[in-house]
Amino acid sequence: MKRFLALLLALVMTMALVACGGKKDTPPADTTPPAGTNEPAPAPEPSAEKVALNVIAAQYGDLTKDWWADFQNDFNGSHDDIDLTVEVVSWNDIYTVVNTRLSGNNPPDILNIDTFADYQADDLLRPIQDFVSDETYAKFYPAFLEQSNIDGTIWAIPDLASARAMYYNADILEAAGAAVPTTWAELKDACQKIKAYDSSIYPWGVDMTTDEGQACFAYYSWTNGGDFTDADGNWTLNTPENVEAVEYIIGLVKDGLTNTDPANETRYDLQELFASGKLAMMIGPNQITNYVEGKDNPINFGIASIPANEGKETSSVGVMDRFMVFDKEDTDDKVDAIKEFFDYFYEDTRYSDWVIMETFLPATKTGGEIMAAADPDAASWIEIVGSAKFYPTAKAEWADVKQGVIDVEQHALLGGDVGELLETLQASLPN
Amino acid sequence: MSTATKSAPAGERLPAQKNPGSSGKKLFRKVEPYIWIAPSVILMAVFILVPILSVFQMATSDVSRAGKIKGFNGVDNFVKVINNPSFSLVLKNTIVWTIAVVVISTVLGFMLALVLNNKFRGRKVARAIVVFPWATTLVIQASAWDFIINTDYGTLNTLLMKIGLISAPVNWTPTPEAYFAWEIACGIFVTIPFVTFCVLSGLQSIDASYYEAATVDGAGYFQKLFSITLPLVKSSLTVATVLNIIYVFNSFPIIWTMTKGDPANHTDTLVTYLYKLAFYNGKQGEASAVSVIGFVILLICASVYMIYTLRKGDEDL
Repeated sequence: MKRFLALLLALVMTMALVACGGKKDTPPADTTPPAGTNEPAPAPEPSAEKVALNVIAAQYGDLTKDWWADFQNDFNGSHDDIDLTVEVVSWNDIYTVVNTRLSGNNPPDILNIDTFADYQADDLLRPIQDFVSDETYAKFYPAFLEQSNIDGTIWAIPDLASARAMYYNADILEAAGAAVPTTWAELKDACQKIKAYDSSIYPWGVDMTTDEGQACFAYYSWTNGGDFTDADGNWTLNTPENVEAVEYIIGLVKDGLTNTDPANETRYDLQELFASGKLAMMIGPNQITNYVEGKDNPINFGIASIPANEGKETSSVGVMDRFMVFDKEDTDDKVDAIKEFFDYFYEDTRYSDWVIMETFLPATKTGGEIMAAADPDAASWIEIVGSAKFYPTAKAEWADVKQGVIDVEQHALLGGDVGELLETLQASLPN
Repeated sequence: MSTATKSAPAGERLPAQKNPGSSGKKLFRKVEPYIWIAPSVILMAVFILVPILSVFQMATSDVSRAGKIKGFNGVDNFVKVINNPSFSLVLKNTIVWTIAVVVISTVLGFMLALVLNNKFRGRKVARAIVVFPWATTLVIQASAWDFIINTDYGTLNTLLMKIGLISAPVNWTPTPEAYFAWEIACGIFVTIPFVTFCVLSGLQSIDASYYEAATVDGAGYFQKLFSITLPLVKSSLTVATVLNIIYVFNSFPIIWTMTKGDPANHTDTLVTYLYKLAFYNGKQGEASAVSVIGFVILLICASVYMIYTLRKGDEDL
C-alpha cells in the first residue's frame, strides 16, 4: 500500500512538473506580476467591457508602493471602464523584469524607467504624443521632451528629474579660511587650505565608480566647455576640453585632495562622509539636503553652482526618468485609457504630491510652480533643473559611452594616459 | 506419476501460471524505475538543461539591448569577447581567485578538521562556531569585511588605534591588488567551514584501530597523517575540492559587494564581468559567450580532476 501511495505521489509530481513546463509558453495574464515584485493592491477582476491597463513603475523609495497602490485604487474607482494594474519594481530588478516580459512578448502597456533608446531601437515603442492629451503634453518643459527625441519623434515623456549642485560644509570652509569656490583654481586652492587645516578631513568628494562615474565625467567636461557629443549629435569624447577635464579631476585625486578610493566609493558613501563632517565638499543631487537635515546633528551646509574652469560657464547635470508606451496594436479604447492615465497622473496637485513625496524635481512647468510656491528651497532647485544639461540617452551607444568614460577614469586613476584612453574610446564608437 | 508432476522444474510450471495480468506486471516492472526517476529528470531538464541551452543559443545570437534575439551570428560574440583587452585580465583574475581560495581554504579547512576531530572540552561548541560563517549570507559576510577594512570608519582601524598600534587610519586597500587580496581572504574565510565539514565526515569514518596499530609499530604523527589519514579522507577531499572549484569559480556576491570589479576590471572575475556586460552594458550576447567560456573551463577542470583522482584511487586499491 505504501509503495502504491508513493508511486502515486511520484506520478502526481511528474504531472505537476509537466504542467508547469507547459505553462512556460503561455504569456501570463496582464494582472499577474512577475515573481519578486509586489503588486500594490489587489486588482478587481477585469470584466469584458473594461480596458485592462498594465503599468510597470520604478520604485524610487519606501513610499512609492503605497503611493501607487492608492493611485490605482483611486483611478479604478473613478474609471469604471478601465482596469488599471500598477506593478512597482525596484531599480535592481526592473531591467530584468522588463526584458523577461519582452522576451515572452508580453510587454507592459506603459513603462516608467530611465532609458528608452534601446526599446525604440527594437521598434517596441509608439510615439508618445499619440497617447498623451494636448493639455498634458503642453505641461512639460520643452527641453525635457527634447531628451527623448530620436529622428524628430518624441518617444517618451519625463516623469521627474533631479539636478546636481555643489554641497559644502560652511563651518569647515570658514575654519580653513577658504571661500566657496566658483572656479577650478579656487576649488584646488580651497582643497589645499582644508587639507592644511585638518588632514583628517577630505576636501573634495569624487565618485568614479561603476554606479555613477559618468556623472563625474559630465561635472568636469561640461564646466570646461566639453561634452559627450557635438551639436549634430556626433560623439566628441576625445576633445582637448574633455582630456583637460579628466586630467584636472585625476590631478586632485593624485594630490590627495579627495576621498581615498574614488573607484570604489559611491555617491552614497560620499554623502555619508559629508553628513558626518568628514568630507568638506561634494557634488550631489537635491536629495542630499533631506539626507543631511535628517541626521541627529545636522552639519551647517550650503549649496552652490558646480565650479567651472576659468572663463567657462558652470553647468548642472540633470537626470530624468520617463514614461513610454509599448507597441501592442492598441485599440482606440486602449489609447483613450492610456491618455486618461496620463491626464490623471499629471493632474497638477496629484503630480506635485508625488514629486515632493519622492523628493525629486518636477518635469512639468505647472508642477514646478506649485512646488516652488510651497517650498522656497525647492524654487532654486527647480531653476537649476530648468537649465541643466542631460546625458545623451537618446543615442543608441549611450550604454557603451557611459561604461567607457567610467573605464577611462578608472584606468587614469591607475596611471593611464587620459588622452590616449579617450582616443581609444572615441575610436570604438561609430560616428 | 503424481510425484513427477509435483517435482516439475520451475521453468516448466511458468506457462501454466501465465495469465492476462502477468505481461502487464512485467511491463510495469520495466517502466517503474523510470516513473520513480521521472520527477528528478523533468526537474533537471526544466531547471538545468533549458537554461544551459538558452545560454548557448544567446551566445551564438545577435541579441539586442532590450533582450530580443535577432538571429544566429556564429562565433561573433566569442570573437568580440576574446578581442576585448579586459578579458585576459579578467580571466587571469578568475584563475588567481579560484586557485587561491580553493587551495588555501582546503589546507586550512583540513587542518581545522584535524583539530576538531580530537576529543576536547567544548568540541561541540567549537564545531558550531565553525559553521557560523557558512550559515551567513555571502552578501552580509562581504559587507562585514568591507566595513572592517574601510579606511574612514572601519573597525580594524578603530581597533588598532584604540590599542595604540597606529595613530592615524591606514588605507588597507591602496591598490586594486590589495583589494583583491582582501576579497580572496573573505572568500577563504567563508569556504573553510565547507571543507572542514567534508573532511571531518571522512575523518570520523576512519577506524581507530589503524592508528592504534600504527602507534604500536612506532609510527610518528606525520607518518600516520600521510599514510593513514590522507589516503582515507581522499574521497571526501576530492568531492569537497571539485564542488569548491565550481562554487568559487562562480562566486558572485563577495566581489560584487566589495568592489563591483572596479577599478577598470582589476578585481573582476568572469561572473562579475559577464553580469556587467549583460546588465550594465546591455550586451547579453557577449555576456552569454563569457558564460559559455566559463562553463567549458569548469567542465574541463572538474573532469580532469575527477578522472585523475579517481584513477589514482583505483590504482591504489
